[in-house]
Amino acid sequence: MASARTVDERAHELLIEHQQTLYRQTDRLFAGLMLAQFAFGIGIALLFSPAAWEGKVSTINMHVYVALFLGGLISGLPILLAWKRPGAPITRYVIAIAQMSWSALLIHLSGGRIETHFHVFGSLAFLAFYRDWKVLVPATIVVAADHFIRQQFWPESVFGILNPEWWRFLEHAFWVVFEDIVLVMACLVGVREMENVSRSRAEVEALSDSEKEKSKALNAALVELKATQEAQVRTEKLAAVGQLAASVSHELRNPLAAVRNANTYITRRFKDGKEISGDAKIGQFLGLIDREVNVCTKIISDLLDFARERPLMLTPCPLHALTEEAIELLPAHQVLIRNQIPVDLPVPSLDKDQIRQILVNLVQNAVEAMPKQVIVDAEGGGDRSWQLIVADDGPGIPTDATAKIFEPLFTTKTKGTGLGLAIVSAVVKRHGGAIRVETAVGKGTKFIVELPPGGKQLTATEAL
Amino acid sequence: MRIGEHVKWRVIALVWAATVFTGMILLWRYKATPGPAADAPSMWPDASSVKRVVGRPTLVMFAHPHCPCTRASLAELATLMSGRTDLTAIVLFAKPEGTPSAWEQGELWDKAARIAGVTPMLDDRGVEAARFGSKVSGQTMLYDASGRLLFSGGITGSRGHVGDNIGRTRIAALLSTGHADRNGSHVYGCALQNPIAEAEVK
Repeated sequence: MASARTVDERAHELLIEHQQTLYRQTDRLFAGLMLAQFAFGIGIALLFSPAAWEGKVSTINMHVYVALFLGGLISGLPILLAWKRPGAPITRYVIAIAQMSWSALLIHLSGGRIETHFHVFGSLAFLAFYRDWKVLVPATIVVAADHFIRQQFWPESVFGILNPEWWRFLEHAFWVVFEDIVLVMACLVGVREMENVSRSRAEVEALSDSEKEKSKALNAALVELKATQEAQVRTEKLAAVGQLAASVSHELRNPLAAVRNANTYITRRFKDGKEISGDAKIGQFLGLIDREVNVCTKIISDLLDFARERPLMLTPCPLHALTEEAIELLPAHQVLIRNQIPVDLPVPSLDKDQIRQILVNLVQNAVEAMPKQVIVDAEGGGDRSWQLIVADDGPGIPTDATAKIFEPLFTTKTKGTGLGLAIVSAVVKRHGGAIRVETAVGKGTKFIVELPPGGKQLTATEAL
Repeated sequence: MRIGEHVKWRVIALVWAATVFTGMILLWRYKATPGPAADAPSMWPDASSVKRVVGRPTLVMFAHPHCPCTRASLAELATLMSGRTDLTAIVLFAKPEGTPSAWEQGELWDKAARIAGVTPMLDDRGVEAARFGSKVSGQTMLYDASGRLLFSGGITGSRGHVGDNIGRTRIAALLSTGHADRNGSHVYGCALQNPIAEAEVK
């Protein structure tokens, strides 16, 4: 109910605004017309009746003075009002009186030419531009008064006879009133149209305001959601750091314990002061210390790879050649690795070092599953996303493990840091892609890396 | 403050309307003020150098060749002469003494010449105007076939204003029916001669 009242009020406001704009525009239009009529009046006075004669003596004709002073007076106030009081009711009423006065004056100045009488009807139509029927009232009164007064005092100048019937001025006025009726109807229709337009605009504005309120509420909710998400991410990060610290501590504790035991033995042997060169265990423990320190180094190195977030350096990256490089970096093994990536595959723009790291990790993972063969393939280019596939026909991954394989420090292997796939997942995410795994126990595993299209794509030949 | 402003503009508008009204009244008075009436001879003067066609009515109009009001008189004469073959019409253009040659030639002379049945003629020094007692441009006189004055007056309703008027209506009625109010009508136009020149001619 309150909303409907608001729309009504706004529609009324818009109607008033619209009418004011129209009144002001029409005032300006008439100000120009008043100037033009003033100039025209002087022009026809100078052209057709510049002088009055008495024998051979000429003087300036009264018409010139009339055009100059009476014409200037008639046009003066409407122009002043259009300037000082645009849109005010008094301005358009004065304009209406002035315009009809100009009709009378021009009829005089043109010597009563019948064509000039059409100025009356044209002026009324012009006044209807205001779409205010009340403006036609003073205009019509001026026309009727002109005829009535002249009928009373100078009947021949209007009717051509000395004693016209009293109602003769009404005969002339009738045609003016007839036009008035048509123009009043046009004004009323015009105002109704303006009312409809104003109402429509008010309704649209109301809808727009409602949408703006909803949009504000939505924005506030989004801000709140984002803050909550950030808080959640911070909490998860803290939890992950704690978990990671625990996992790393756990992973490092075993090799360090072995190193400590070996070191204790060797230290005790030195303190005994006995001959140690014959002690075979000394050599074994020194070898154990070396291996376990290497394990610790590997864990720390992988952790650094996982944690490091350097900006991507996108360069044309031919996948076939990159896969060959990755295969060469693998430790010795007995598994057949088949690089099936087409040599002529379009070349995507990727971070070469990081993608090579992905390939090394995925292929090494597959090789360690002891399959008969590992197949590396890729497809994509153009508008399609890239797919990099590493598949093996090994024993597969147990179902309960697949959900955790991309988590850091999770591994199903006896010798592994549990960071290989976590690194792969992190790199893929940095490229805006995704990784998924398809596995079946006893049949094999397939890792599918999807990278978005885009970046500069070159042909293999161009990349070389 | 705003109310004062409204009142101020209303007062200005009222004063303006009253001034415009007064101006229009003065204009109407000026337009409706006739010139001095002619002292037309009741019979066509034998001494006149202008010869009427015996057996036909003759209309004579006296005109100032440069009077802008006479443009309307000639327009009314054209209306009167339209389709009429039973009337001889002469427009005598006054040429005051001391005016250059061809002074009478101009727009009004040409306009009169273009009206079928109308002959423009020169009235040197206004001799004929004085003979016919005409003082104002547009003065029109109608003589019957026997040279008797039927009508004398103007054929415009006001100064320089075309349209239906008493003079033209009476002349048309006299020619058509022979009966009409023979009282003259007012003449609106410029003086044919200045008083000094007129006195000299007499």
